[in-house]
Amino acid sequence: MSYKDKVKTDLFPTIWCPGCGIGLIMTQLAMVMDDLGLDRTNTVMVTGIGCTGRMGAYMQFDSVYTLHGRTLPVAEAIATVRPELNVIVVSGDGDMTSIGGNHLLHAIRRNPRITVLCNNNEIYGLTGGQTGPTTPVGTKTVSSPAGATFSPVNLQGLVNTNGNAFYAKTTVYHQGQMRRAIKEAIEWPGFAFVDITSQCIENNGRRIGFPSANEMLNYYRKEYRQAPPGSTQLANHQLGIVKGRAAEPKAEPAGAGAGKGSGEA
Amino acid sequence: MAKRLLQGNEAVLLGAVKAGATYFAGYPISPSSEVLMAASVYAASHPELRFLQAEDEIASANAIIGASLAGAKSFTATSGPGFSLMQEAIGYAHKLGVPTVFVDVQRVGPATGMPTMPGQGDILQTRYGSSGDYTSIVFYPSTVAECYEYTIRAFNCAEESRSPVVLLSDAFLGHLNEVVDLDAIRVPVVERTLEPLASGHTRLFSGVATYPDGEPATADADEFIRQYEEAKARRLEVSERYAFHEYGWNKDADTLVIAFGITRRIAQPLAPHFALFRPIRIWPVLQDELREIAPRYRRIVVIEGSDGQYASVVERVLYRDVYRVPLLGGRMSLEAVREGLDRIGLLPAELAEAAV
Ligand SMILES: Cc1ncc(C[n+]2csc(CCOP(=O)(O)OP(=O)(O)O)c2C)c(N)n1
Ligand code: SF4
Ligand SMILES: [Mg+2]
Repeated sequence: MSYKDKVKTDLFPTIWCPGCGIGLIMTQLAMVMDDLGLDRTNTVMVTGIGCTGRMGAYMQFDSVYTLHGRTLPVAEAIATVRPELNVIVVSGDGDMTSIGGNHLLHAIRRNPRITVLCNNNEIYGLTGGQTGPTTPVGTKTVSSPAGATFSPVNLQGLVNTNGNAFYAKTTVYHQGQMRRAIKEAIEWPGFAFVDITSQCIENNGRRIGFPSANEMLNYYRKEYRQAPPGSTQLANHQLGIVKGRAAEPKAEPAGAGAGKGSGEA
Repeated sequence: MAKRLLQGNEAVLLGAVKAGATYFAGYPISPSSEVLMAASVYAASHPELRFLQAEDEIASANAIIGASLAGAKSFTATSGPGFSLMQEAIGYAHKLGVPTVFVDVQRVGPATGMPTMPGQGDILQTRYGSSGDYTSIVFYPSTVAECYEYTIRAFNCAEESRSPVVLLSDAFLGHLNEVVDLDAIRVPVVERTLEPLASGHTRLFSGVATYPDGEPATADADEFIRQYEEAKARRLEVSERYAFHEYGWNKDADTLVIAFGITRRIAQPLAPHFALFRPIRIWPVLQDELREIAPRYRRIVVIEGSDGQYASVVERVLYRDVYRVPLLGGRMSLEAVREGLDRIGLLPAELAEAAV
């Protein structure tokens, strides 16, 4: 088996723009799935609406392409009815934190065993590049011509309101680190959230001064640093994993070992 | 055999359990909360029923869709503004073809309205509440025993039609206590029709228009129409087997009363003077039955807890005007029925005298 078997390569090219960061996430996810033995009998994907949400259509799993913002209630119900399954949610930052924000708050609180990969391109990509709750203050977008007004939502703080939850920060440039974060997230016995900074070159990057995706990736390389080992909180632009207290494994996931918890970055 | 006193909302829960439901999600709201509470109590001693008190009705509605896809017969119960919040998810369930059951215990709206007062103002919302075209199947019982029976049928019909089915109730019926013998109600249960997630396929359950292989079909009218017609045909065909209604009272009278849900019970004293047509399947509208029965009557009066929602449907189906007796603001009483009939000059003398 190869990670390529996890992807419907016959549907390529994807609808994503050349240089988009979403494909980099899909590749790493496919590799982790291959490593962990995730297949169409033990794993379900749940995606939201947005460019990111298309990922489910490209992968070799049963996949629920939910309404905008509604991945989490669907995913949590699947995990409740079928605790043996790996439930992998892939969704955009707008989907997850804006329209789906209330579900995020409560999924964190209830701590179901689901893995969330949030493609955080700091923009509403699909609808043309409007500002959202993850857009940095001052960013000029098609709906914030004078620059975004409000501070972005504190995702780490939100996830860590549950002492048992798992939060990882990574970028699509840091492929090795992203892969490790995704792997540990899938193995985590409760709610695991991977916050992946990535580029929407077409509807954001170019408008804020990056000539191409390459410059954006280089920017991530320069700006983001690994957090010191043992960090229990990540500073802005720090990469790492903050695991909550070890929750009791709710069920042994098929094909994936249950995670052990420790404050580790 | 065992007779017992049972409330309409509790009968819904027992019907769901009988039908094989193993997942409930809901959010408290009068007058439907007893379904949620009864589900939580039942789940506490029957772990096969998974129970979620969700953060809101949007989550509840989407959760029962996820649960159904995962393999559980699932349902929720709500009222008024909660049902409005569920409309997007109901459209999604229609698009996916997911069997699940939405129970709507109607109160007086719009908005928060009159939370504990009975209404029937969701008739059109159950048909047109979500965006776009879809084929709704909706049942509306009139007694506590029927709450049980039609909950089972709603689950069955959801499976057969592969669509979300709405069971309507109202504050009056939901809170009504009646002596029932559930053992005497025998409805065969239809087994699951949808192969659960992770059975080895790579299906895409998509709210977005897509081709069977998962590629976007968002600009292909032919494909859209093909999928739409297929879903519609299936729902219409299945609902033919669920064409439940009641035709009775004084069939020789010259006026036909149409009433459903609790209103049919309230109107019972009209029995000697009018014929009665009671649709139990509210949607698809019982067009053939109405067209067969209506010509026998000089006048038709629709008595309902809304300002003519069902009356407008009857007019459209029959191409003729009907009289309306709207019972508004929760005034769903015989007194209000009498007043309404009097206003349109159709109150029988005996009933007018009885009123004094
Ligand atoms: C209820 C609803 N509101 C709005 C939309 C329009 N819409 C589609 S995708 C989207 C935002 C996408 O942004 P994000 O979730 O960040 O995903 P991205 O495209 O950036 O991957 C919006 C607002 C919708 N589909 N449904
Ligand atoms: S619009 Fe942005 S997020 Fe969407 S595919 Fe293009 S680059 Fe990617
Ligand atoms: Mg985005």
